Amino acid sequence: MEKRYPRILFRKRLKDLRKEVNDIGKLTLKAHKDSVNIFADYDENMVEDVLATSKKIDEMVFYLERKCISIIAAEQPVAKDLRFIEACIKVGSHLKRIGHLAANIAQASDYIKDETIPKKPQEDLKHMADFVQMMLSKGIHAFLDQNMEMARELKQDDDKVDDLFDQALEHITRSMFKDKESISYLVHLLFVARYMERVGDRAVSIADKTIFMITCEKP
Amino acid sequence: MNRIEVENLNVHFDDAQILKDVNIKIPKNTVTSLIGPSGCGKSTFIRTINRMNDLISGFKKEGHIYLDGQEIYDPSVDVVELRKKVGMVFQKPNPFPKSVFDNVAYGLKVHGITDKNIVEERVRESLKSAALWEEVKEKLEKSALGLSGGQQQRLCIARTIAIEPEVILMDEPCSALDPISTTKIEDLIHKLKKEYTIVIVTHNMQQATRVSKFTSFFLHGEIVESARTERLFLEPKDKRTEDYITGRFG
Ligand SMILES: Nc1ncnc2c1ncn2[C@@H]1O[C@H](COP(=O)(O)OP(=O)(O)OP(=O)(O)O)[C@@H](O)[C@H]1O
Ligand SMILES: [Mg+2]
Repeated sequence: MEKRYPRILFRKRLKDLRKEVNDIGKLTLKAHKDSVNIFADYDENMVEDVLATSKKIDEMVFYLERKCISIIAAEQPVAKDLRFIEACIKVGSHLKRIGHLAANIAQASDYIKDETIPKKPQEDLKHMADFVQMMLSKGIHAFLDQNMEMARELKQDDDKVDDLFDQALEHITRSMFKDKESISYLVHLLFVARYMERVGDRAVSIADKTIFMITCEKP
Repeated sequence: MNRIEVENLNVHFDDAQILKDVNIKIPKNTVTSLIGPSGCGKSTFIRTINRMNDLISGFKKEGHIYLDGQEIYDPSVDVVELRKKVGMVFQKPNPFPKSVFDNVAYGLKVHGITDKNIVEERVRESLKSAALWEEVKEKLEKSALGLSGGQQQRLCIARTIAIEPEVILMDEPCSALDPISTTKIEDLIHKLKKEYTIVIVTHNMQQATRVSKFTSFFLHGEIVESARTERLFLEPKDKRTEDYITGRFG
């Protein structure tokens, strides 16, 4: 067999990239988790925290992308190395968007904090929040561990979250009909449900990118 | 349509087997890249396509090489005619120590074209096709050795296309050139592929992705994988290809 040239520096740079995505992923999970907690249990300081975390994620993603570009320029990667770097860029931008959605959720809570939310929508949103948090965690880990099974599971989760959203929508509109006065804050509840559903979509996109990275298949 | 078809080609130099069961189809008017680590047999392979190995003692070949359906090792084939159809450009530009004009005209004379007007016309057209005309039109009578490396390489390409081959074999044509000259040769390859079938050996994988439609990866005298260039570099199917192109061995 030929002499092995492990390209030590290049390998290390790829490993560093993975670590950075891991760090950004952790922050994103935290931002989302905090935002839904605020929703259940309002805390002004926490809102500021989530906004700050989202900003921090933006910045980290900016540097992640820059690093990816400089590795491409310096190393001209091909095959799975190239696919990995491309996926890091895409996953980074999904995580950034999820950070923004978490900030949106946190901010929406401000409109709801003084209201008593009807029982059914409250349960729906709690359920969605947990489910989406789980999806996000799955998406990030599927990518980091190149886990095809986990990535494929997210496809089914996507349908589930759509169902949950439809259900929330129905319950929220029903409450709106019952009490017209409540529309002004229930509408924000609707937004929150929408934001969560979008977080779920982004998690699925991360999984799709992972599937492409591993197999080159159109997911 | 395939210009060249190689079937079960085995090549030995004395007892050493250099090429093993090589099969490849090279379509007309396309660029095909050959990549692989040093010593894997790329040069031997392309030299077999225009029978340049014939004179090497101990050279033995089995299998078939067809050019437009005709077996090139058939006894009825005239080797001089074959080399007219299958031209070759080498790693190091190798102009003759003659004038720029004579370098290009030389091949024409060898092939019996002596009419002055035709020769002049062909020389001019070839230099234009090789994207060299503008740079040398004032110094056609000057020695070719006074040209830069990149110009010399384009001159060698002009010399090759002057005799209107069907196939141009290029063995690492840019490895002795600076980046600008390399770009010029690559642009030239793009232009030439409309009329010629080009096979290029390169150690520069980015070059392979830039210039060629198909790529074959050679290892230890065998073709491990042949595919559309894009596919081979994005999604190699064989682990050995993946390891080689990602720089895990070389
Ligand atoms: N004239 C010859 N006589 C004997 N062995 C030869 C001869 N020419 C080449 N070889 C052997 O054939 C093998 C393939 O050589 P070849 O020049 O085809 O490799 P290559 O892929 O072109 O390598 P490189 O990338 O370094 O140019 C080598 O092991 C070489 O030593
Ligand atoms: Mg060689």
